[in-house]
Amino acid sequence: MIPVLLTIRVQSFRLWIPLIVVWILLLPLVLVLLPFAVVACLIARINPLQALLAFWRLLSALCGTEIEVNDGKNVVAIRIF
Amino acid sequence: MNERRREVLQMLAAGKITADEAEGLLAALEKEPSAPATGGSAETSAKPKPKYLRVVVEASEKSPIGEAITGKSERHGPAKVNVRVPMQLLRAGVKLASLIGPQATVAVNDALREKGFTLDLSQLKPENLEELIDGLGDMTVDVHDDGAKVAVFCE
Repeated sequence: MIPVLLTIRVQSFRLWIPLIVVWILLLPLVLVLLPFAVVACLIARINPLQALLAFWRLLSALCGTEIEVNDGKNVVAIRIF
Repeated sequence: MNERRREVLQMLAAGKITADEAEGLLAALEKEPSAPATGGSAETSAKPKPKYLRVVVEASEKSPIGEAITGKSERHGPAKVNVRVPMQLLRAGVKLASLIGPQATVAVNDALREKGFTLDLSQLKPENLEELIDGLGDMTVDVHDDGAKVAVFCE
């Protein structure tokens, strides 16, 4: 399943980003760029369908990623749900 | 396993089975994977596959590793880095790498060779790396050096 929520915490400030809205907003852009991506894949002799599936798997696998950096005074934490 | 072997030897001593039959049973027991002492089923002894790769770094205030992490030579406390990456992401990355065209593979191999790495990317197969990722479940790396601790493990 593709990520649906991204949380960013900087110090005590928290930001929740609903990624589902981001994906919906990016969908028209993706559809416009898709033919160019297919042409680029064909030029590079890569199966466009396999490339698309690989990127989809990569995107779906992002769920559960956590990155937290604390230098003793500042804290930055990123979580993908 | 020892109990089964003892049972076979007891049956042989009692004359219930012949020596050839006992030999066959003992050979079959040796081929079987060893069961746990409590006699549990194979499913309970099977380890669950790891889901995440964790990298945890803790560096003291004066550690150069902490300076490398934060970019600051002076810090108010220990620097900590906690990264959790899903194993599915590693698998997806491997499959993405398999799409690299042959021309790019040659260029990458040449670049690696210049740096001293005799690695041939064209020989890497997704199934081989799948075994490697599965094997990461037992991997634990602990490094303690110069006021810093680095731990890499799977959970």
